[in-house]
Amino acid sequence: MSEPVIAVTELTRRFGNKTALAGVSLSLARGAVYGLVGANGAGKTTLIRHLLGLLHAEAGAVRVFGLDPVQDPVAVLSRIGYLSEENDLPGWMRLDELLRYTRAFFPAWDDAYAEELRGAFGLDPAAKIRTLSKGEKARAGLLVALAHRPELLILDEPSSGLDPIARRDILGAVIRTIAHEGRTVLFSSHLLDEVEEVADHVTMISHGRVVLSGSLDDIKAAHTVDGRTPTLNEIFVATVGAT
Amino acid sequence: MKLVIVARGHAVVYDSDETFALAVMGPITATFTYCLAVFTYGLSGDIAGRPSMYPRRLFTLPVSTAVLAGWPMLHGTIAVALLWAATRAFVLWPSGVAVPVLWPAIAAAALLAWTQALTWMPYGLPGVRVILAVLWLGTIQSIVLLGLRYDTSESLMLAIIAPQIPLAYLAARLAVALARRGVVPDWRGAFTWMARLAPVRTARGQFASPARAQAWLEWRRHGWTLPALVGILLPCELALLFATGDTPTLVWIILFGVLLTPPFMAAFVAATVRKPDLDGQGGGEHYGLPPFLATRPLSNRALIAAKLEMSFWSTAVTWALVLVAIPVALRLTDTWPIVLERWHRTIALMGEARASVLTLLIVAGFMVSTWKQLVQTLFIGMTGRVWIVRTSLILTLVLVSVIGPLLDWVAGNGAVRAALWDAAPTVLAVLAALKLSAAVWVAVRLYHSRLLRDRTLVIGAALWCGAVLALAAVLSWWIASEFFPRYLFVLVAILAIPLVRLSAAPLALAWNRHR
Repeated sequence: MSEPVIAVTELTRRFGNKTALAGVSLSLARGAVYGLVGANGAGKTTLIRHLLGLLHAEAGAVRVFGLDPVQDPVAVLSRIGYLSEENDLPGWMRLDELLRYTRAFFPAWDDAYAEELRGAFGLDPAAKIRTLSKGEKARAGLLVALAHRPELLILDEPSSGLDPIARRDILGAVIRTIAHEGRTVLFSSHLLDEVEEVADHVTMISHGRVVLSGSLDDIKAAHTVDGRTPTLNEIFVATVGAT
Repeated sequence: MKLVIVARGHAVVYDSDETFALAVMGPITATFTYCLAVFTYGLSGDIAGRPSMYPRRLFTLPVSTAVLAGWPMLHGTIAVALLWAATRAFVLWPSGVAVPVLWPAIAAAALLAWTQALTWMPYGLPGVRVILAVLWLGTIQSIVLLGLRYDTSESLMLAIIAPQIPLAYLAARLAVALARRGVVPDWRGAFTWMARLAPVRTARGQFASPARAQAWLEWRRHGWTLPALVGILLPCELALLFATGDTPTLVWIILFGVLLTPPFMAAFVAATVRKPDLDGQGGGEHYGLPPFLATRPLSNRALIAAKLEMSFWSTAVTWALVLVAIPVALRLTDTWPIVLERWHRTIALMGEARASVLTLLIVAGFMVSTWKQLVQTLFIGMTGRVWIVRTSLILTLVLVSVIGPLLDWVAGNGAVRAALWDAAPTVLAVLAALKLSAAVWVAVRLYHSRLLRDRTLVIGAALWCGAVLALAAVLSWWIASEFFPRYLFVLVAILAIPLVRLSAAPLALAWNRHR
């Protein structure tokens, strides 16, 4: 069996008196779409920040591609595409400058693919980032996260800036494409119907703990009652409500 | 200061009016500066940035813009007026001194009100706030000084100064109204032609490496700020040469002021350079590394190197401007002969070689000082901790407040001067030992955290040692006197060449990037 893309072991993190993550363990295999779900403040973004090396593990271990992202940020980050919830692209850059700047960091950058995505997202290369709408900024962020065909795509609440049509047409299509190419996607969301639509595996976090994790089919099968398969929303309410 | 530290247990005697004035003005100035920082919200803002420094969180309060601008101004002006009232009431003024009653309070209030208006105003270019503040507040202070010089009556001073406060209020109200609507004018488009001259610009195609791309980003963010600020101030300063006539002292004072401008302005620009945000829109509370930068597949060392490179080129462009502008101005104002005459006298005094080295050392000293000002506080901003930034700011203010009275005390006390002179080698040796110990600690941390490669550490240490020895050799050759043993020059060089704060920057960034 190949080495997992992400291996998190007993990860614990506290911010002052608040425990953000309490003994989280997680293993993500190559070539699947993982949905990370949880209420606001559950610990999704904290976990993602550990994977990117933006937080160091106070207790436990984090390995991405078998490497510690804090010790080897360049080796890890050059293989990851990341769309931040904050979407903090530099407002003063034009889109073409952003693409030119970003491609310098990724040897695998694919100009043709970047141009294809730019066209599909309807983005003007001469437009300054600050003049873009929230949805357009999210698309620009997605573009630079995808154009180097990353081995691991991490999307932190990617839908927060996208309208429903963009979510369905762009995000869903992109995520499926990435997964079909044998790469891995981890995306966090609190929009459970969206996760249900694209994820193969789901991990639910509540109060810093993993309360449910497994393939979507297995989770649904386990919660089927009297032949009725519940939605992920119902499973979430039943599971998180019980914790 | 003098009562508490220097002359504890002794009667305090001031030898001159100037010394007395300094002793009174030291604490007042420090307190006034603190009031400026507090009532302008300046402790948590980016003074060289374009956006208003008024805290955005207050814009959502259900109050009018007049209230947002008016109340801090009212509180501030009352506070500084009370500061003067307390000073006037409690200081034991020498007999026969006519201490004004009201106008210093009104002048302090006007200065504070204008500082508020200028800091809350959004600007179209980075650094314009600093320039306007220096020019406008300097003008108000000049008016006050002229009034003092010509012994103007209190009522006339009040008539001149008091109208400044309502004017400042109107300006502040406009500033807050603009900021509340999110207006940040952008005049940078008018300077895009300058980008073509950028030292770190690249071909339109692609960057040669991630490091080049990062250097480009840093240049676009901060590169032109210092040259633009100095470029705006230079003509104003050099124009004064027209007014000097044939007075050599004034010419030299103006030239000294011009040479001092880049390092002086660099200290303000450094506040922006050390902030890791991308747009200058984050306000003072955002020292954390934005995810966009933190997730660049680039080492902490490379991120810092890009800032150092940008600062180097920014300094080079600034000094190119200064070194071109000075001869042109001297020629246009016919003050060139004054400089030449001093040059010939210096050559006659110490020989051509030593005079040339002295000139080069002075200019190089100003240049290095400019770069040093830009980068020496990087390690503070890179920590990403607001409490560290604020503490360093407060410590700086305290130091600035204390240094004046201390120097005055040393200058006026022969025994202390002699003791300091005797102890100078020991003091320098202790300071050098402290610096080297700190450097070793930083180097060990860098080594263990693998932030710098062994080779980089060794090369860096070798270059630093080379610079120290070179400076010590030049000083030793230039000063060559039996009064100064050679090891003194080595100690001075060790203290002068930047080391600890620069090498601590990657550590600070790592602490910020991997929290």
